Amino acid sequence: MAERDRIVRLLVRFGSELRAAGLAVGSGDIMSYCAAMTELDPADLADLYWAGRTVLVCRRDDIAGYDRVFRRFFLGDDDQVAELLRLNAAAASQVSQSALVIPATDPGSDEPGEEAVLGLMASGAETLRHKSFAACTPDELAAVRRIMARIRLTPPQRRTRRTRPARRGSVPDLRRIVRRSMRMHGEPAELCWRGRKVRPRPLILILDVSGSMADYSRNLLQFAYSARRAAARVEVFCFGTRLTRITRELDHRRPDDALARAARTVFDWEGGTRIGASLESFVREWGRRGLCRGGIVVICSDGLDRGDPATLAAAMERLARLSYRIIWLNPHKGTDPAFRPSTLGMIVAAPHVHLLLSGHDLASLEELAALLPSLN
Amino acid sequence: MDRPESVSELADALRQGGYLADRGLATALFVAFRMHRPVLLEGEVGVGKTEVAKVLAAIFGRRLIRLQCYEGIEVNQALYEWDYARQMLHIRALSQQQIADPDAVDKLFGPKFLLERPLLEAVRAGDGAVLLIDEVDRADDEFEAFLLEVLSDFQISIPEIGTIKADSPPLVILTSNRTRELHDALKRRCLYHWIGYPAPDRETEIVLLKEPGVGEALTRKVVAAVNRLRELDLAKPPGVAETIDWARTLHFLGETDLGQAAASDTLGAVVKERDDLELVRDNLADITSGG
Repeated sequence: MAERDRIVRLLVRFGSELRAAGLAVGSGDIMSYCAAMTELDPADLADLYWAGRTVLVCRRDDIAGYDRVFRRFFLGDDDQVAELLRLNAAAASQVSQSALVIPATDPGSDEPGEEAVLGLMASGAETLRHKSFAACTPDELAAVRRIMARIRLTPPQRRTRRTRPARRGSVPDLRRIVRRSMRMHGEPAELCWRGRKVRPRPLILILDVSGSMADYSRNLLQFAYSARRAAARVEVFCFGTRLTRITRELDHRRPDDALARAARTVFDWEGGTRIGASLESFVREWGRRGLCRGGIVVICSDGLDRGDPATLAAAMERLARLSYRIIWLNPHKGTDPAFRPSTLGMIVAAPHVHLLLSGHDLASLEELAALLPSLN
Repeated sequence: MDRPESVSELADALRQGGYLADRGLATALFVAFRMHRPVLLEGEVGVGKTEVAKVLAAIFGRRLIRLQCYEGIEVNQALYEWDYARQMLHIRALSQQQIADPDAVDKLFGPKFLLERPLLEAVRAGDGAVLLIDEVDRADDEFEAFLLEVLSDFQISIPEIGTIKADSPPLVILTSNRTRELHDALKRRCLYHWIGYPAPDRETEIVLLKEPGVGEALTRKVVAAVNRLRELDLAKPPGVAETIDWARTLHFLGETDLGQAAASDTLGAVVKERDDLELVRDNLADITSGG
């Protein structure tokens, strides 16, 4: 009995170590782990390892973390390299945090009263609407964000394989026919139909956060957050020199928390740009798995690519084949209707882009929101 | 055999059934057997996720019930459906013969007119079945929520008949190709195992087990070549299924060695993407050299 207690205690401690390392391990999971170990041999390291991995880990990305904790906990191995990597990562995230300052949308305590702010905002809304993000002061940006949060994105619809009762449709609704004919003593008096359901297409935002785009990308991040809150099937990615998925980070109720978390995840704020390589890794890791199939891909970048244009061309071509429509937001387009893309990256990408918008101010983002439903 | 007594026993049984499982997979399956928990298998395409369910069913003499998921799959297609056409004919027959049966309606919604779909079938079969829920990532997320309900207590309520519950639940295996992230709640309900590519020696063993006719020397060469292909950063790296296919193709053509010419002719068995083909053809000498 005492032996069993010791083992359970050990496993529980291991579980909390995992939790400390950032894995989502609940008490239920630890109970399952203990139950699994009663069926196995707790003295066997391989059993300990595999049972834990199958019960406590439920995501592939967590396997490395589990391995590290297991090694430290059961083998007493202070993995120097891993430790070093972790320190590096922590240092890097600190740097990126200091490089990235997102003014909060919540007014601070030293700001004027609510009414004054609202009044100012209302009068300023129209001017703000056409003021380029790059030229806004921090206060104006905060106001812009609050307005932006109200933009509703409704991606175009697509038909699914599911059906629902409809006035006229393609398939007879046998269930309803039988139910109604029972009322008529078995006489199928009236035909009922089912029609195909529709659902919104997935929306994928790919944002450039490199140096040349920094002034715009912060606002686009807010835009992405609002989009994510508004529609369920929105995925958000950031790239500078490499691609980062921030969809999960944006799933936070308070916008400032969500944005701060997303900002911490992205390592390459205001660095160089490798659009081609980033899009290629998007196609390879996410696009091919079906993330953007039949979806609307919105890329926001100025097209200043430091990589090989051939890579970008190939990636764009594949992306165009995988997705339904590609929209490119280029802030440098501004309001100039005669704008012609001049950067090499834009020229290479242009044949695959269905729609080129500017996205440099509120009005242009509203234009995007208005255009979205009509893309079918 | 009814159920395994130890991890190694299960691994041996799987081997006899023609499936080589590593320690991790065997442990996950063993724990699933003993704790009556579903197993979620994720992994690259073609590493034998579906196969393991088939082999398990075969070696334990259980019935394999397969639910193939696809976009737009509905509860009716997974659980049960009333046989409306027959119901309607039955009603017509009754009314034509002027039979006044007070229980007519009850009979109409009785077992006779119930079409069992995989999940109901599996709950009825209990531990006499292996339920394979294949490519669950293809179904929409609403379907996932519904699966969660069934998998947590193996109980299905049909309003007209009552609740059907499995005395001892079937062994459930879910597979996913990670085309999208599954919901955490579903993952929590399951044991999780990631199936990666096997080590070269094991892969050789697998090919020899599946295709005994192929010589060992050729197999080793094919496995080495496939491993080099996986390092090449292809858009679609070949899985174990492709390795087996390639070895089988070469053997069928009477090749005993993997030369450049033979490899080039049969490349279609392993590389199935145009961009990849070009990349591979450029590096063919590297890939086929050595063993």
